[in-house]
Amino acid sequence: MGAFWQRVWALSAKEVRHVMRDPRTLYLALAMPIVMLLLFGFGVSFDLEHLPVTFVDQDHSTSSRELRQRLCAGDQFNDVGSWSTPSEAEARLVAGSAIAALIIPVNFERDLRRGRPIQLQLLVDGSDNSSALQVRAKMDASVRALGLSLASGGAAASTLTPPIEPRSWTRFNPEGRSAIYLVPGITALVLAIVAVLLTALTVSREWERGSMAQLFATPVGRLEIVLGKLLPYLLLGTLAVLLVLAVGSWVFNMPFRGSAPTLALVALLFLTGMLGQGLLVSVVARNQMVATQVATLSSMLPSLLLSGFVFPIANMPKPLQVISAVIPARYFIDALRGVLLRGNGFAELWHDAAALALFSALMVLMSTTRFRRTIA
Amino acid sequence: MTRSLAMLLAVIKKELRQTARDRRMMFLLVGVPVIQLFIFANAVNLDVDRVPTVVVDLDKSQRSLSDLRRLLADGTLTKVGAVDNIPEAERWLETGRAAVVLLIPEGFERDVVRGQRARVQAILDGSDPNRASIASAAIAQYFGSEGAILMKARLQRTAADMAPRLPQLSLRSRVYFNPELKTAVYMVPGIMAMLLLLITTIVTAMGLSRERERGTLEQILVTPVQSSMLMLGKILPFALFGLLDFAIALVVGSYVFDMPLRGSLTLLVVGTVLYLMTTLGAGMLISTFSGSQQQAFMGGFFFMLPAALLSGIMTPIRSMPSWLQPFTLLNPLRHYAELMRGVLLRGASAADLQVQLTVLAAIGFVVFASAVFRFRRMIG
Repeated sequence: MGAFWQRVWALSAKEVRHVMRDPRTLYLALAMPIVMLLLFGFGVSFDLEHLPVTFVDQDHSTSSRELRQRLCAGDQFNDVGSWSTPSEAEARLVAGSAIAALIIPVNFERDLRRGRPIQLQLLVDGSDNSSALQVRAKMDASVRALGLSLASGGAAASTLTPPIEPRSWTRFNPEGRSAIYLVPGITALVLAIVAVLLTALTVSREWERGSMAQLFATPVGRLEIVLGKLLPYLLLGTLAVLLVLAVGSWVFNMPFRGSAPTLALVALLFLTGMLGQGLLVSVVARNQMVATQVATLSSMLPSLLLSGFVFPIANMPKPLQVISAVIPARYFIDALRGVLLRGNGFAELWHDAAALALFSALMVLMSTTRFRRTIA
Repeated sequence: MTRSLAMLLAVIKKELRQTARDRRMMFLLVGVPVIQLFIFANAVNLDVDRVPTVVVDLDKSQRSLSDLRRLLADGTLTKVGAVDNIPEAERWLETGRAAVVLLIPEGFERDVVRGQRARVQAILDGSDPNRASIASAAIAQYFGSEGAILMKARLQRTAADMAPRLPQLSLRSRVYFNPELKTAVYMVPGIMAMLLLLITTIVTAMGLSRERERGTLEQILVTPVQSSMLMLGKILPFALFGLLDFAIALVVGSYVFDMPLRGSLTLLVVGTVLYLMTTLGAGMLISTFSGSQQQAFMGGFFFMLPAALLSGIMTPIRSMPSWLQPFTLLNPLRHYAELMRGVLLRGASAADLQVQLTVLAAIGFVVFASAVFRFRRMIG
């Protein structure tokens, strides 16, 4: 047993020296997570403001002008001009200079005063889904609210209090900041990419250059090779986790409400799994170009798309939901959100830890067995 | 001239043969993009519905039962459980089993009947702000319209002259270009832009660095092939693969995902060629800076990720902070994605897209020229 760990240690030391001699890899492994965190944290948000809206005012009344003016007074909409016919407004949508056109019908003012039903029409550019959905919802709410105050001249509306009052109280992220929601997901995504790529590339380079064959000529066993490759990158990955969490709390005011040991355990299991996956990729691919493509395909895309990072898993078609059950990032993101935002500990998150443990054990096992076959 | 052409053809032939022999490489160039197209187009769905909700009905009246039933029937909220005290409901929130606690306090029906203000409370898990705001909007909208009905009835009883003066505004939306707001229709053009970047930039960068790493670039340099022909010969095959993938994605997109092609195909191809100039140029440029395939890949990745993120493909550019938005104007992916969506979905004309075309051409020229310059110096 002593000789086993001695050999693992020797291999790890070799790997560390390898990394230290070409610090560019080190920079990439540590700088990339930070750059990506900042990019995602600042760049990805779903709150839209200043949506460009164009108008077709068929009423030309004081009320219709006031509606238009008050709609665009806030931060929600920007008035980008008015047209006399709907088809002219439609051309603005085609050109992409407005994302919606509000048509105010003839007799708007008269019907408003008399309490008759009025139907306004909103033409929406559907080529960008999220903008389309938001402009529709926001316009609907604004028009209703403004209609009430326009009709009553502001007087009667204030006396009409709603009979049922729903009150919302938001926990964990009361200001509704996108960054707080996204940082755990970004952490997982970045770590998945860096961990898989690091091992996939370093090991496949050894295959490509023939130094792996030299290694086989020594008495080192396959499990020793796998562990010797894993441990140094586990250290590097842990550094990256700490760095990302520090930047997250410093730049984005990320809270940390739950149990730190649980987070540490889950992070280590996740890293082991992703590094193991990288090893497996390199063992199978044996060529850097193929390895990178397989590594990106197997780590970046699923971690980005199928992990519940941004896109809710519940909305995916059934087959994709099944696939997402074997994506480790899904469990890691859930555990991160649990610890950071909801203040969870091991009692709530043991099933995430168990899933990750299973995945990493499987990855280490599979890359070890694949190693043997390729030696023979 | 014919000699240069023969050399060019020879380099292209060598490059194509090398790629075609590696079956895994071929699969990556042709098969993987199709897989990605399928996953992306299906996974990316930002609609929020079926938000897990736990119900605390302390009133247990006829009114509270029917309100809860109708609110949950709408589909935005899905009932995952019912408990009878608040601390337990909060545990559901903390463990992530539910994202909304809907609380109907005691005396709800009594207050409604007596005309006193009735209260309903929602406790939301705010860790996903988008989901939280949609859930709270659904609750507010339901009780708002219930309230309006009650108010109308009350007014008719008390102040008969006021009731008809309540405004009855409604908004009817008509969604153009993608009436059902299908995600696939919206995502496929964006994915095509990302795929082209992945394939042309990274594969070109790595292909060139591999030759450098193995020393085969020097071997070619001692042959009479001119450097410009060598460069062209290295690039054209990947441009070809790029165009092939573009065509595959277009066909799959329109047959499988019902993506329309409303504008002119020529405009689309012109835009694609301009875009390919940038992506191939960027690949070459990255390879001149990196000593190994690993670095070339990391470099390509470093270029690709911000470009994809700040392109407006996944999240609208307008939702980015205002200081960040001007930077996206330098992003070729943004202009290409806008061009694709414009031509495919909206049927935009060249005049509508002149900004995008001009910027793409300008970026393409600058990147390509500097790549040629750097490459010449490297091999010269």
